[in-house]
Amino acid sequence: MVTVTFDKVRKAFGEAVAIPSLDLAIASGEFVSLLGPSGCGKTTTLRMLAGLEQPTAGEIMIGERTVNNLAPSERDIAMVFQSYALYPHMSVRENIAYPLRKRGVPKADRPAMVQAAADLLQLGPLLDRKPRQLSGGQQQRVALGRALVREPKVFLLDEPLSNLDAKLRAHMRAELIELHRRLGKTMVYVTHDQLEAMTMSTRIAVMQGGELQQFATPAEIYHRPANTFVAGFIGTPSMTLADGEITMDQGRPVLKLGTLSLELPADHLSERPEGTRRVTVAVRPEDILVGTGSFRANVRLVEPTGHESIVLVNAGDVGFTVRVAGDTVLKAGETIPLDLRRERIHVFDRESGRRLNADLAAATADPVRSRA
Amino acid sequence: MMPARRSTTMLANLVTWGLVLLISFPLIWMVVTSVRPQTELFQIPPTVIPRAITFEHYIKLLQETPFLRYFMNSMILATSTTIVVIVVGTLGAYSLVRFSYRGRETLAALVLFTYLLPSVVLIIPLYLMMVKLGLANTLTSLVIAYTTFALPYALWLLRSFMAGVPEDLESAALVDGASRIGAFIDVILPQALPGIISTALFTFILAWNEYLYALVMVNSDQARPLTTGVMNMLITSFNIEWSLLMAASVMMSIPLIIIFAFLQSYLTRGFGAGGVKG
Ligand SMILES: Nc1ncnc2c1ncn2[C@@H]1O[C@H](COP(=O)(O)OP(=O)(O)OP(=O)(O)O)[C@@H](O)[C@H]1O
Ligand SMILES: [Mg+2]
Repeated sequence: MVTVTFDKVRKAFGEAVAIPSLDLAIASGEFVSLLGPSGCGKTTTLRMLAGLEQPTAGEIMIGERTVNNLAPSERDIAMVFQSYALYPHMSVRENIAYPLRKRGVPKADRPAMVQAAADLLQLGPLLDRKPRQLSGGQQQRVALGRALVREPKVFLLDEPLSNLDAKLRAHMRAELIELHRRLGKTMVYVTHDQLEAMTMSTRIAVMQGGELQQFATPAEIYHRPANTFVAGFIGTPSMTLADGEITMDQGRPVLKLGTLSLELPADHLSERPEGTRRVTVAVRPEDILVGTGSFRANVRLVEPTGHESIVLVNAGDVGFTVRVAGDTVLKAGETIPLDLRRERIHVFDRESGRRLNADLAAATADPVRSRA
Repeated sequence: MMPARRSTTMLANLVTWGLVLLISFPLIWMVVTSVRPQTELFQIPPTVIPRAITFEHYIKLLQETPFLRYFMNSMILATSTTIVVIVVGTLGAYSLVRFSYRGRETLAALVLFTYLLPSVVLIIPLYLMMVKLGLANTLTSLVIAYTTFALPYALWLLRSFMAGVPEDLESAALVDGASRIGAFIDVILPQALPGIISTALFTFILAWNEYLYALVMVNSDQARPLTTGVMNMLITSFNIEWSLLMAASVMMSIPLIIIFAFLQSYLTRGFGAGGVKG
C-alpha cells in the first residue's frame, strides 16, 4: 500500500514562492497526472517527492512514512526527468542497468531485466549506443527504460512522452496504461497534454501558479470543472467563457449574457442568488446546438477538421466556439438559429471563480474511472 | 577564379610559415646550440647548421652537476602541487556549483580577488610563515606556496567546467540509488574529466616553470627545483655557460613537450568546453 501525501507543502526559491501550500492525497496504486500550464510547479512537486528539493514547509509522506528527511536513494522511487538526464558516458545498456547496479541487484539478474525494459520500449537495437547517438525520442525512451527497469514504490514521470511522434506516443500511452495495470504501482505523471492526462489517469491534479485547482477523475474534471481556470484549461477547443448576470424570475434563475437571456433549470445552482449575481459562464463547444433554437447567430469562421468542424459564431455580443459534425454545411457570414444545452451550462462566481452549479444529478451519473 | 584563389592560399601559407619560423627560431637555436661543440659557439659569422654534433654538454650536465636532483625536485614539486590543487579544487568547485550556502558568490569572487595582490607582496610574509612552521628551505614550503596561487585559478576554471554538467544528471543518479559521493564519482567526475585534466596540466606547467617563489623561499641545493637550480649553477656574475644552459633548457622542456604532444586535445577540448559554458 503506497499512498503519497502532500500536507501543506510549501516551496519557495529564495523570495519566489513556487508552491504556496499544496495538499494532495494520492491513493495506493493510482495513476495521477499533474496537469497545468508551463511554470505551474509540476516539476517542483515531483522533485520534492523525489527528495531532490527540500520543501520550505509542510510534510511529504510515502506510505505511512514521512520522507522529508530521507535522501532520494532511500525513498525507493524511479523518475523520468523532463530533460531525460541520460548519463552521456554510458551506453544505453549501462544507463538502464545503472539503477540495478546501485540497488545491489545481483549481476547475473541484470541482463534479463535490462532486456525486458528494452523490449518494452523497442530499444533492442540501440543498447550499445551512447545517448548522443540517439534521436530525441529514442533518448526519451531510454530515460523511460531506466525508470521502468525496476519496481520501485512510486514512479515519477515528468513528461515522458513529450518528444515522441504521434504513433509512438499512442503506442507508449497504451503500454504505460498496461504496465500500470500489471504492476499496480503508484504513478505520478506530469504532462502538458490533456489527451494523455484524460486517457491515462485515474485522477488528474490540475495546477496553476503552484496551487492545486482541482483533483478529481478525468470525467469529473471535464464535466464539472471546479473553477473558471479549470473550465478554460481543459478541453480542446476550449470552452466559451463569458461574463453574465443571474437574477431570479418566478423561482427560476435567468442568465443574461449580453443581449441573450436564458432561463436555467430551477435546480441548476447550488445556492439561490440574492438579487443580481455577477457570474462567469462556460459552455463546451459540443453543448451548443446549431440549426435549432431561438437565438440568431452569425457565423464568423468555419474550421473543418474532417469528422467535425469548429465554428466560431456571434450570438448577442458573445462569441461562441461550436463543435458540429463534419458534414454540416455552414458558410461564414450566414445567420443561423442556435441554442445552448442549458443543463450543461457551467456557472462560476465572477470574483472568486468558484463553481456554482448544483451538479447533483450529474455527480451520480458519471462513471468513476478506475483500473484497479 | 581558380588561379587567384590559389595564389591567395599560397600567400596565406607563406605568411603562416614565416610566422611559425620566426616564433620557433629561439627554440631551434636552443636545440642547435646545445649540440654544437664549444669551439663553434662564438664563431663569426655564425653557422646555422653546426658542422659537428656533440652530446658532451648533456653528458656533462647529467654526470657532473646536480641537474638530475633538480629535475627530480621539480618533478616532485609539480606533481604534488597538481595533486593537491586538483583534489581541493575539484571538491571546492563542486561545492561552489552545487550547494547553496550563505556567501557562496562572495566566496567565488574573493577567490579571484587574491589575484589583485602582486606575488612580491606575498612572498616575504609567506617565507616568514614557513620559517615559523619549520618548513623553510623544503619542497613542502614550495608546494604550499604554489598552491596559494594555483588553487584560486584552478577553482575558477573547474567551477565553470562543473557548471557545465547538467544538475539533472546528478539528480538522476541520486534517484537511481547513488549516494552523493557515488553520484559525484559516477556522473560528475566523468563529465568534468576533460576539464580536470586540462586544469591539472596547466597547474603542472605553472609549477614546473615557477621561478620567483623558488628563488626566494629555497636556498639549499637539496630542495632547489630546475628553474632556480640551473640558473644558480650555470649563470654567475662572471660567466654564462651557454652550451650547458641550452642543453639544460632542452631537457627542462621535454616533459612539457611530452604533455603537449599527448594531451594537447585535452587542453584545447577542455578549454573550448569551459569557455562556452563558463
Ligand atoms: N531552482 C529554482 N530556482 C528558482 N526558481 C525555480 C527553480 N525551479 C523552479 N523554479 C520556479 O518555480 C516555478 C515552477 O517551476 P516548475 O519547473 O515546477 O514548472 P513546471 O510546471 O514543471 O513547468 P514546465 O511545464 O515548463 O516544465 C517556476 O516559476 C520556476 O521559475
Ligand atoms: Mg517541468
